[in-house]
Amino acid sequence: MDARLRRVNKEIADCKNDKTSNIKIDLIDDSPFHLKGSFPGPEGTPYQGGTFEVDIVIPESYPFQPVKMKFITKVYHPNISSASGAICLDILKDAWSPVLTLKSTLISLQSLLCSPEPNDPQDAEVAKHYTTSKSSFDDTAVYWTQIYAGGPGPQGKKGKGTTMGKEPRDEIAIAGLERAHVEQFEALGFERSKVIDVLRRLNYRGPNVAKLSEDRVVEELLK
Amino acid sequence: MNTSPTKPPPAPKTKPASLPDVEDGDSFGQGSAVDEHTGFPTDIASLTPAQLYELNLGLFNESLPDRPLIDEIAPISELRAEYENGSPSFVQQISWLEGQGFHSIRRTRGDGDCFYRSTAFAFVERLIHAPNPDSSVQHALSTLEATLPMLKEVGFEKLVYDDFYEALVSLVQNVLTPDDIGMKLNPVRLLEAFQKPEISNSIVVYLRLVTSAQIRLSPFDFRDFLFHPETAEQMDPTLFCEHFVEATGKEADHVQMTALCRALRLNVDVAYLDGRRNDAVDFVQFREAKDQTKPLVLLYRPGHYDILVGGR
Repeated sequence: MDARLRRVNKEIADCKNDKTSNIKIDLIDDSPFHLKGSFPGPEGTPYQGGTFEVDIVIPESYPFQPVKMKFITKVYHPNISSASGAICLDILKDAWSPVLTLKSTLISLQSLLCSPEPNDPQDAEVAKHYTTSKSSFDDTAVYWTQIYAGGPGPQGKKGKGTTMGKEPRDEIAIAGLERAHVEQFEALGFERSKVIDVLRRLNYRGPNVAKLSEDRVVEELLK
Repeated sequence: MNTSPTKPPPAPKTKPASLPDVEDGDSFGQGSAVDEHTGFPTDIASLTPAQLYELNLGLFNESLPDRPLIDEIAPISELRAEYENGSPSFVQQISWLEGQGFHSIRRTRGDGDCFYRSTAFAFVERLIHAPNPDSSVQHALSTLEATLPMLKEVGFEKLVYDDFYEALVSLVQNVLTPDDIGMKLNPVRLLEAFQKPEISNSIVVYLRLVTSAQIRLSPFDFRDFLFHPETAEQMDPTLFCEHFVEATGKEADHVQMTALCRALRLNVDVAYLDGRRNDAVDFVQFREAKDQTKPLVLLYRPGHYDILVGGR
């Protein structure tokens, strides 16, 4: 048996036997070199209550080269691409060490959810949102956790008479924008999807709203 | 730090600690003051350590991009020939080494693992040629075995280090005990083993883990020397070890070398072939063996280590 297979088998067995960590590793198909990891979102973060799945590819020269990981579950986080799930984390690149395992790397991803590094972003738009308005960022991350990772949704904001699950996805909340802002420009005759796209790119949030004149936004909308 | 009293090594910050990390096939000549025609600097003494490093890395990797992880021995005159069109001081230093009896070198790939790979190879090779292999091998095995509790104590997982440890121990055992095809380890088979990435890299990682454990377990010996190689900021031992000892491809500097020699009780001499003088070559000495064991000898050129063969 080659070193890579021996090591991966040991790691999978170790993870199965470990009842204390809540990291799971499962086969995706028959190959032991393409796996799916999952872990709960950390307590006390916008990701709490969600379950996050990670695509794992074990390269030929593992463990001497880093494992390839990206999020399957969509995550709203400065160091994770909101589109592709690609992850910006040093241990997946030049700080990789063969002492790291699938489990310890997944635990590092879990920690990454606790401590975003907006100065070294993978997703620049999300990072801008984070630095401009943390509370608005948190709301958006909670919403993403709810709709993509099975999270509970915003606490204490229920009671509208409808259950969240039956509602259509709220594109404004997904984009991390405020309804009033989107409606303001819709009223000028622009399509909602166009307004959302432009306001998201302009980071029309928090103190930035005062800095961006209506004309500036309209100019973008007309492009 | 335990070094030669007559030739104190430069302070940790003036040496390759301040250099960027090594990677295969790195950019040759970027920012270096090199002669366009020969590809060599016109005045080697005027180069910064970073430029010297780049110059050398370019030499290693441009000329032979597919250099084996570790190579057959080659006459030191071959090395000298590579410098003959360029740097007189390197040429003179190589001739000086030859005059001291160092007739050959064994090259390693410039992949950031070269110190660990060279040291491991020389360590096992020494056992093959030992006058009393029984006791030498037993001594080596007990030294290696004594590292296991260290690895455990600093929190490495057994499932991680067992394979790496076994890769080295089985080679050492094979010096005395025939393997499953009835063969003992000989120089040819040793080279074959060290050229196989799986075995060779496992052994390198084991040495990195031992180095890390030594630094973490004796922080007072090392903490004043743990600097970030680029920012020169002092670092916490754990953070330093994670980033600059355990991480793949990270060059060893004085701290790592001292720690490894201490953990494996090695005597090592490192010949500094750096073109900074032309009448001789400075040796940095690591003396961590309990007896007067003849040191393993490495050849350092900025950013790279090979094995020096022969000697005084």
